[in-house]
Amino acid sequence: MNINRKIIVRSVAVSALCILLCAATVLAAESGKNRESETDDLTVFLDTLGKKIANFKTLKTDFIQEKKMAMFKDKLVLKGRIYLQKPNRIAWHVDSPLRYSVLITDKLIRQWDEDTNQVQEISLTKNPIFQNVLNQLTVWFSGEYGSLLDTNTVRMVKRNPLMIEFTPRENNIAKKVIRSITITFREDQKYLQQILIQEVNGDVTTIHFMNTILDAPLDSKSFEVKGHV
Amino acid sequence: MFDKYFLLFYQFAHHHKKWILGLVFLITVAAGVRLLYTRYEGNIDLMLPPDKDIMRSMDFLRDSSLSDKMIVSLALTDPDRTKKDLFIAADQLAASLTPPLFTKVISGFSVTDVMEEFSILRYAPQVLGEQDLAIIDSQINEKTVSQKMRGIYRQSLRPESIFMSTLSRVDPLGIKLLLLDKLRALPASMGYDVDVEDGHFISRDGRHAMLIIQTPVPMMDSQRSKDLITALQAHLKDLPGFVAADIICGHLHTVSNERVIKRDIKVASIIASVVFLLLFLMVFRDARVLLVFVIPLIAVVWALIIASAIESKLSYLVIGFGTAIAGISVDYGLLVYIAMKRGADVSQTIKLAKLVFIDAITTIFSFIVLYFSLIRGYHQLALFSILCLIFCLFLSLFVLPLTLSWKRYALVLDPTIGDRFKKIYWPTKLTVGIWSLLTVMFFILSFWVKFESDVKKLDGSSPEVLRAEQIFHDVWGGKANQAIFVVTGRSLEEAMEVNDEVFREAAKIIKNGDFTSLALFWPSEKLRRENINRWDRFWRQGKEKKLKELIRGTSSAYGFSDHAFTPFFEGMYAHGNETTRSSELIAQLQERFVVNKNGEYRIMSFFPDEKQEVISLAALTETYPGTFIVSGKSLSASISSFTTQEVKILAPLALIFNVVLTWLFFRNWKETLLALVPLITGIVWLIGIMSLFNMPLNVVNIIAGIITTGVIVDYGLGITYEYRYNLRIGTVIAVSLSAGANVIGAGALLFAKHPALYSTGIAMVICMVTGYLSSIIVIPSLCSIMESSKQKVPRT
Repeated sequence: MNINRKIIVRSVAVSALCILLCAATVLAAESGKNRESETDDLTVFLDTLGKKIANFKTLKTDFIQEKKMAMFKDKLVLKGRIYLQKPNRIAWHVDSPLRYSVLITDKLIRQWDEDTNQVQEISLTKNPIFQNVLNQLTVWFSGEYGSLLDTNTVRMVKRNPLMIEFTPRENNIAKKVIRSITITFREDQKYLQQILIQEVNGDVTTIHFMNTILDAPLDSKSFEVKGHV
Repeated sequence: MFDKYFLLFYQFAHHHKKWILGLVFLITVAAGVRLLYTRYEGNIDLMLPPDKDIMRSMDFLRDSSLSDKMIVSLALTDPDRTKKDLFIAADQLAASLTPPLFTKVISGFSVTDVMEEFSILRYAPQVLGEQDLAIIDSQINEKTVSQKMRGIYRQSLRPESIFMSTLSRVDPLGIKLLLLDKLRALPASMGYDVDVEDGHFISRDGRHAMLIIQTPVPMMDSQRSKDLITALQAHLKDLPGFVAADIICGHLHTVSNERVIKRDIKVASIIASVVFLLLFLMVFRDARVLLVFVIPLIAVVWALIIASAIESKLSYLVIGFGTAIAGISVDYGLLVYIAMKRGADVSQTIKLAKLVFIDAITTIFSFIVLYFSLIRGYHQLALFSILCLIFCLFLSLFVLPLTLSWKRYALVLDPTIGDRFKKIYWPTKLTVGIWSLLTVMFFILSFWVKFESDVKKLDGSSPEVLRAEQIFHDVWGGKANQAIFVVTGRSLEEAMEVNDEVFREAAKIIKNGDFTSLALFWPSEKLRRENINRWDRFWRQGKEKKLKELIRGTSSAYGFSDHAFTPFFEGMYAHGNETTRSSELIAQLQERFVVNKNGEYRIMSFFPDEKQEVISLAALTETYPGTFIVSGKSLSASISSFTTQEVKILAPLALIFNVVLTWLFFRNWKETLLALVPLITGIVWLIGIMSLFNMPLNVVNIIAGIITTGVIVDYGLGITYEYRYNLRIGTVIAVSLSAGANVIGAGALLFAKHPALYSTGIAMVICMVTGYLSSIIVIPSLCSIMESSKQKVPRT
């Protein structure tokens, strides 16, 4: 009798273990599938979002940039304007604390500041990391997020307001300096509200966008760097 | 004595006709089969002077890492394709190139790795010297530090601050620029205009990528070079349609030179053979004349086998001369054939044999002269040619008559053949006058002849190879030649220590940073330790404290934190006492400068290959034993200087031999001088004509000219002999046909694509044509004038 009982208990235990293992496997598979499907969903979502956001030819927006850097006692706060003309022209004008302007194209950047009062041109082909960072800026501003998926892993942090985190992959040259970039979208999801850049060294940069006008009329003066106020 | 032995062998041959013919046939067949397994040499070393400096330079270039590299330049041919497509194609090609033929493929390097590698606090203490610290010292003042702080603040406001802020914290003074300056010289040492994008080498126009491939195949190994090129071309076929590729490497030159020479040998042989056949058949209308043509071919085959056995490997260039030799040696068979066709009797046959023998001896002696040269290739040429001539002589005198004496076919059909030549009337005094005038004119012109000393002009690489190199230099730059200063040592450290000292001295001699050395960015361990000690002393003796105070005083205006630059001060002495081993990047860069062969380390430094620079640095090789300079221009100059010295010995020797042999034949100065008319004409007119048409003399055509003197002196010998003794054995037509055959043999080289063979053809054709014309026009006229003078002087 005792032997039979032992056999029955053992059988039940083994069966329960098997069931648990199977369940775990199924759950893991399900969760994997969920992750996969979540990633797939995100890809589709980003594509759709990108199409929505990318549906403009020009852009004009004000910004406030806050930089928390270990090198400085207090936060650095920059205020200025951004002008964007697709496919590949961005002008970034800083009005305070120091007047500074930079024009970014796919091949070079041209910059000026009131301190030196010199216009400096830098070829991006000779500065690959710089080029990578500026390419990313261009992508964020222009809305073509699908292209970021090759070099970044993507995670949806929040749905409302929509917040997506991009983490550079191993093959991304920016991985050496950037830990993650979190983008928060406006409620109407037509454009960005904020970009949060967390650097590997612990520094944090936050850019808030306000008074954004899509398809704004722009003239050539908007893309001049020298002495622009 | 000659008559006795000649008759002995002649009669022996006639009594054992079948045996002799059978033996010749068997030996020829055996030699022909052996020829299929004979290896030939494509290496040019054979043709180089055995000068210590030249051999050392050639050995160095062969053993250095320079000759085992290949470059592939990839070009985008579709304007719609981008750099990304080009880089993908480059990466796929690089991945497909695997050992054993391709040991390493470099398509670029990672700039982030470079920036990491050159961490200031890791490398600056080791690499920066006294001068660099003086520059840093000059920056430690309030004004400059304030400017630096302002600059860092300004930069922090810009997008690039994302990756610059960390760098700024460990390098407030911008010491990194001093390190990068040292690296900037490196592309200059390559002489190329290269950018790096996305980890790939890219040209300035952005449409070309470069792969540098390392191979264990030595450049001079023609067989393995062929396999290497074939394998690489097979991989290049897999490139997408919008990418075109050019290969740049020394192996291509080796393969191309060999291919060109082989082609030239084939073409020249075919042309010479066809023209010989047509000429002989048209003139004689007798198929047996083909036997005359076959004799030199048999002689060449026998000579090749024996010469290869003695020399182990014959040079392709030596074989190329074979076609010309075949033309020279057809003379003997021709003389014998024509004499037999005219029905020469025994005494005439013996006189003919003497003439043919002396003809062969003068030609053989012109090759013996080459043994006085120190160049091994010339010895090979001499051996091969002498063997050829001896076999031709033997076969013409003793074997050819056996084949012509078949009773079934009458040989003598026209005993007057060739007499028409003798009947042509030349106005004697006018002829001699014009000849004298032209000879004087060409003699004067000869003083303006140019000499081409650049041996690179004798490179026989095909136009495609040269065009690819031209395109490569147009895209990537690098046309300026670089000379190499080599330091040797039993260990790497030993060599590097000497290299440091050499660099210190050379930098004073060669300005503008044109002397690129490993010492510039990675000195010896001894010097690195000295630099570290100097760095530590520099900062500990007050500079650190001063800089801290200045930063504290100037940085607060910009809101810098108290610890903004702590990483720099904390890391200042973090290097410890151990010198850092070279990183991967430095190891890669070192490869360009360091060669380790057979336990000896050689460190190369590069500088412009200009005469003044080479001379200035040559003094350093005296100061530092075990160092030497490798310069392409100097190498060319040394080779031609050596060859010029040799020609100064060989040319007079050849002349003396010809004069002595001619005198020995005639035992009479008047007839000797008559017989030498074609020799004088050939040499003087050759140099004069080259000068007139602005064609330079070079090491190859001078030697060809020397060899040809032995041929054209035969024309003079034959014609003088015929006219003086009224032989009537058809010498004039024999000499004419012989000259024709010689010119055809040498003229076939005018179709050669290889510059060395073409140059030989030009010299030999000019020499032979002028020598021949003077022998049939001027010698009879001179003989005539001498006869008339004799008749005018009354005998007492």
